[in-house]
Amino acid sequence: MLDGLLILLAFQFAGELLVQTLNLPLPGPVLGMVLLLAALTTRAAILQRIAPAANLLIGNLTLLFFPIGIGIVLEWDRYAEHGLALLVSIVLGTVLALVLVTGLLKLLLRSPS
Amino acid sequence: MSAFSTPLFALLLTLTSYRLAWWVYERTGRHPLAHPFLLAMIPVIVVLLALGISYRDYLAGTAVLQFFLGPATVALAWPLYRQLSTLRHIWRQVTLYILIGAPLAAGLAIALAAICGAPADVVGSLAPKSITTPIALEVSRLTGGYPALAAGAVAITGIVGVLAAPLVFRLFRITDDRIRGLALGLVAHAIGTARAFEYGERAGAYSSLALGLTGLLTALALPWLWPWIAGLL
Repeated sequence: MLDGLLILLAFQFAGELLVQTLNLPLPGPVLGMVLLLAALTTRAAILQRIAPAANLLIGNLTLLFFPIGIGIVLEWDRYAEHGLALLVSIVLGTVLALVLVTGLLKLLLRSPS
Repeated sequence: MSAFSTPLFALLLTLTSYRLAWWVYERTGRHPLAHPFLLAMIPVIVVLLALGISYRDYLAGTAVLQFFLGPATVALAWPLYRQLSTLRHIWRQVTLYILIGAPLAAGLAIALAAICGAPADVVGSLAPKSITTPIALEVSRLTGGYPALAAGAVAITGIVGVLAAPLVFRLFRITDDRIRGLALGLVAHAIGTARAFEYGERAGAYSSLALGLTGLLTALALPWLWPWIAGLL
């Protein structure tokens, strides 16, 4: 677990550092993810140690963003005037996106396997 | 300082509520409307209001949780790496699908919010709503959005996506688990992926793949394109 966390933090730091140095319009942790993915494809055995830490973090994503997400209710005063836009964009936008991508997939993957 | 205004209490409150919410969620057979994000809100809000703790103080008290969103983003490389082999046979179709689908999901969120008259900061919070929260929060910083709005929009998008999926799949007569997984992962990120695993391992694997690739593409493209999009609003 400790090794995994260490590897994840090291790659995050590498990502942040590159983004800062090269002034990239990109989140540092995302670049860290790309770097880790590239490193993983070399099949280096040591990197397999991220599994427990990675699974723990990914399995509890809801907990990690919960305190931020609750702000949508606790700070509703700030967003209330855009309530309709939020509702339409989130609910209708999501259903429409799902319909369109499902239709697209049906076209792209015709042969069942 | 009272014991109730410490980070320890904020964390304890959050973990207890989250744990309880999971227990109820499991009891309902994981019904989307009983998602822990929604259920855990109830005790937390009640306690914060009762004790007069502000959102700002609560957020500061739970900073340790937010810190781990960074390593969690990096960790997404792991499921993505594990699913790369499933790509071998249909990588062309999947690549094309993500290249069309990810901009489509973001574009619909942006266009619908803009049509309803939302200002650029609100639209910027909604644009990354189909991607997994740790990445969406990073992207929303670069698009000038509000973190709370971005995180809330992502969670509700996941829940709506999971609620609508069975109807949409019936409408299109979908029986292919690859399609179920790819659709849920692109539109409804981690919440959709958890649901995809209930269709089967295969659906879950494809959903993880779509979640990772959509998050990656959106994070790479959206901050770059944002100045241009904001100019149109």
